[in-house]
Order: sequence, then structure tokens, then C-alpha cells
Amino acid sequence: MLDIAALTTASGLLIDPLTMGLLILGIVVGLVIGILPGLGPPIAIALALPFTFHLDAVPAMALLLGIYSAAIYGGSISAIAVGIPGTGAAIATVLDGHNMYKSGRGGEALGFSLAGSIIGGLVSALFLMLVAPLLAGFAVQFGPREYLAISVFGLAVVVRVAGKSLPKGLLMGGLGIFLTTWGLDELNGTERYTFGSYHLYEGLPLVPFLVGLFAMSEVLIGAERAARKVDFSNTSLTVRLPGLKTLGRMKDVIFRSSIIGTVIGIIPGEGAAVGAFFAYSEAKRRSKTPERYGTGIPEGIVAPETANNATVAGALVPTLTLGVPGSPAAAVLLGALLIQGLTPGPKLFSEEPDLMYAIFLGLFAINIAMMFIGLVAIRFAAQLIRVPTSVIVPTVMLLSFVGIYSVSNSFFNVGVLLSAGILGYVIRKLGYSMVPLSIGFVLGPILENSLRQSLTIADGSVTEFFDTPIGLAIYAALALTILWEPIASRRRRATEET
Amino acid sequence: MLNQRTANLVFVVLIISACGYFAYLAQGFTTSGLLASSGLPSKFFPQLMLGITAFCAAIVGYRYLVHGNAGGEEDESVFADGKEARQGLSMLVVAGACYSIWLFFGFLAMAVLLGPLSLLAMGVRAPSTHFIVLFLTAFITMIFVFGLDVDLV
Repeated sequence: MLDIAALTTASGLLIDPLTMGLLILGIVVGLVIGILPGLGPPIAIALALPFTFHLDAVPAMALLLGIYSAAIYGGSISAIAVGIPGTGAAIATVLDGHNMYKSGRGGEALGFSLAGSIIGGLVSALFLMLVAPLLAGFAVQFGPREYLAISVFGLAVVVRVAGKSLPKGLLMGGLGIFLTTWGLDELNGTERYTFGSYHLYEGLPLVPFLVGLFAMSEVLIGAERAARKVDFSNTSLTVRLPGLKTLGRMKDVIFRSSIIGTVIGIIPGEGAAVGAFFAYSEAKRRSKTPERYGTGIPEGIVAPETANNATVAGALVPTLTLGVPGSPAAAVLLGALLIQGLTPGPKLFSEEPDLMYAIFLGLFAINIAMMFIGLVAIRFAAQLIRVPTSVIVPTVMLLSFVGIYSVSNSFFNVGVLLSAGILGYVIRKLGYSMVPLSIGFVLGPILENSLRQSLTIADGSVTEFFDTPIGLAIYAALALTILWEPIASRRRRATEET
Repeated sequence: MLNQRTANLVFVVLIISACGYFAYLAQGFTTSGLLASSGLPSKFFPQLMLGITAFCAAIVGYRYLVHGNAGGEEDESVFADGKEARQGLSMLVVAGACYSIWLFFGFLAMAVLLGPLSLLAMGVRAPSTHFIVLFLTAFITMIFVFGLDVDLV
């Protein structure tokens, strides 16, 4: 049920001039970073994280959510204008968006992308506002065995979808979890891998690790392709929003893509890129003229753009209600809540209802503001596609160094940032995915504590892990997730043979 | 050029060796007092994770050794060409050097050198780019020092 008192207080917090200013700043920064190829939402949020240390929770979340939503949308601008997606989420948009741009209908393409993004964002924000409090109310009853099941589910799904090699994904997930065992043992105070340094008593710090993994590794990758230049003609960059009649004709595509994006956002690890591709292929499959997809039609832009922005609020459902991030960007957002001294999870709704409702309302405000900012700023912001990587690389490196140092005035944290950056660079070069590593690093403590507590409660018996209906349902869902693909492909083969 | 197979095999060997070393260190985790007998020992979880990691690394290594890849489509070589390798690895050295310069000579020295060293690593000589990077360095520094009141030493 909606908490009207919290909703009223949250509205008051949100219309504070500083919060609104940061929300708009977040949208502008997100658009800029989304446009620049290579810098996606996790990097954008990671770079802004240190600034939130100096802010209260509501303005901090307004800034970060503005960046998150706008960065996903911003990726479509470079996808349409130059055929290079600014983010992974915009890869599906290239197919029709760039073809429309090349035929002189760039303004229309940008309009469809903006309209789709806003509608997807609004629908999923509504879903988050209605579902998250219910789920949190239900999750309050969860004990260690249920949390163990959720962590195992989250991690298994992430590993399954990340990259093309399962052993590589598992290796990264295991490594990420192992790194969280450094520091004092939370249950009995034993020193583990502290190497005599008091800096490591609390383990490897989350924020420098994530910023290093995403931003620093991108700096090193970016340096390799610094010489590549991008140029484009900006003759058709004035956004032309589609009319209600046009959108009405596409209502089925929009509705379906919003639902697909929201649901895929909730599933850990799937993310905006998968949501966009899934929505695109569904729109094409159900179309009466599927052969027109890829030639430059509005539906080919609206479907992926609606879905990728719908994943934003979807990913926040498990992050806020269970403390289990739905995507790498949500994992970094989780770090922002920890900076504020808050523990994401079901208790957050009873302890900080005003913040929760400010997040919900903030998402509505962000999507509405994004429409106006998009209409005015895209033409100018698109010029940023021309910014050379050689300028971006040292700027992002300095921002990462100084930002991380400013959080706790600690050189140790800058060292962790650098080490995580080198680790991220090496694994990316060797074809590993960073997603299981980052999600494993976030889920590790929950997994260890819930496993140890469950074993203690069950007196060492593993069979009692399944002696809880909720836990059993989650393990059944996990088994179904893992077994579905082989079963489906076997059935497809059998059908083809007959 | 360094190919994926060789690089991944070296990486896997390093991972397995590191797992062995950390598992050995975990043997030394001891809990004293009343808490010693409560629940699982502190070494259990890290050793479990190290076991899983090493096992997966062994599978990855086996696949590279026998099949030449670990599944999926991957580039044959780690770097597209010599220039890409030189720029990426030089940038890695620059990042480490900048951290050391900050540690031993202070923030100002690092901030002044970071831009030119990065551009040198990327092979960029255009004076305009140097000017823009220096301007952005000064701008970011001002935001943190005057805007956020951070004491950059």
C-alpha cells in the first residue's frame, strides 16, 4: 500500500531547489556521458559517487538517478547520429535509428527515441512505486536461508548471462566473492587477509573497487583507441517529437516494450542491452511487416528505447527491496546508499520511507524533465560526439583519482581504485565479463553471512536450507532458469526433425 | 602479437597459484575465546570460494589448451596491433606513475604531469589537446578544492 504521509514528505524534499538543481544537473551529465561512446551508466554513476559524499541522501539519489536514466537515453543519440552506440543499451537502436538519420529524418528518429525513453521510464517508475513497497513488506519476513537462496539465485543468473563462457563467468563470480572475505570476520572478529594493515580491517572498500573496475579500466581501454576520430553531419539534429496519434498507432509496441524492459530490469544481470534487444525482436516478431525492421522505421527505435529506459526502475526493485542489485549500474547505486550510511534491503522502507518515496517521485520528475532538456539540449549535446578520446581519458582518470581520494582522504583507497582498474583492464582484454565480478563483490558479504547463519540454525544440515517455502520456491525458479534453455532447444530440435 | 590462448593460459596459471597461496594463508585464521566454537570457522568460506575459482580456472585452462578457446567468439590476439598495445600498456604505466608522484611529490605535481604524460602515452602531440586537458585539470581541481572543500595534498 502507498504511504501517503511519506509521499507528501518526499514531494516536499524533492522540490527543494538544491535537489531539483542536482536532478537537472544529473540529466545533463548523464546525457553527455551517455553520448560519449565507451562511457556507460555504471561509469557515469561511479564518477559522480564521490560527490554524493558531500550531500544528503535525497539530493544524492536525485543526482545519481538523473545520471542513470539520462545516460541510457544519451546512448541513443550517438547510435542515431553516427551509428556508434554510446552505451550497450543503444546497440539495438542503431539498426533503424541510423538508417532514418541517413535518410534525412534524424530529428524524427531522435524524437521517437526520446518519446520511447520517457514512456518506458514513466511506466517502470509506476511499477516500482506500486510493487517495491509490497515486496519489501513481504521480504521483512526473510531470514538467512531466504537471503542465501536470493543471493545464490542472483549470482547464478548473472553468471549464466554474463559473457559467452560459463566457466569464465563462474571464475569471475568466485573471485568477486572471495575478495569480500578480506578484513575482519563479521561474525567472530578473526583477521582475514589484512596483511597487518589497519586499512584492510573493514575489507576492500566497495566504492573505490567499483569505480576502478568500471571507470579506470575504461581509461586504459580508451587509451588504446585514442587516435580514432568520429565525424558526422548535424543537419537533421533538431528533435521532432511524434504526435499522440502516431504514438497511439504504436501503443502495443510501447506497452509490450515497457513491460519487457521492467521485467528484464528486475532479473539480476540481464540489464538494459538485453531488454532493448528482446523488445526489438518481440516487436519484429509480432509485426505484420517484419522485413521493414532494420531499414529505418519508427517502431525499430521506439521498441528498444522504451525497453532500455524501463530497465532503470526495474533494476531498482531488487536493489531497494532486497539489497541485491539488478545490474552493474544498480550495484554502484547500492554503493551510494552505503556512503549515506544506509543499508539497502526491506528495512529501508520502514526506516527511510521518505527517501524511498523521493526515489519513486524522483524517477517521474527525471523522465518529465528529460523531455524538456532533450528537446532543447540534444542539438548542442550531440556535438560532444566529436570530443576526442585523448581528452576523455586523462579527464576521467583525474576525476576518478580525486573523487575517490575526496571520500575519505585516503591514498589507500586510490591504490584500491588503481588495482581494481588494472584487474578490470586485464580481464576485459582476456575476454572475461566484469558483471559477475562486480555483482559477486556486492553479494559476497550477504552470501557468506547468510550461509554461515543458515548452517548454524540448521545445526550443520544442508537439507534444512530447503525447509522453507520461500527458499524452496527461489531454488525451483533457479533450477527452471538453468534448465529452461537446454529443454527448449531440445524441443526445438525435436520439432525440426519431425 | 600476444594471442588469447597464451595470455589466458598464463592468467589461469596465475589465478590457480594465487588461489593456492590464499588458501594456505586461510589455514592460519584462528579465532580465540568463546567465539572459536561458534558456527563455521572463518577459513571455510574463503577456502570454498578459492576452490570454486581454482576449479573454474582449471576448466578454462583445459579448454584453451585442448580447444584453443573457452567458448564464444574471441579475438585471436589480445591487442589489435602494436600501436594499440603500446598505448594501452603505456597508459597503465602512466596511471601507476601518477599515483606514485601524488604519493611522494604531492597533488600539484601529479595534476600538472597527468595530462601531458597521458597524451604522450597515447601519442597525441596537438598543442590544442594539451591545452584543453590542462584546462580541464585546473577546472576539476578547482571544483574539488573550492566547491567541495577537499584538501588535496
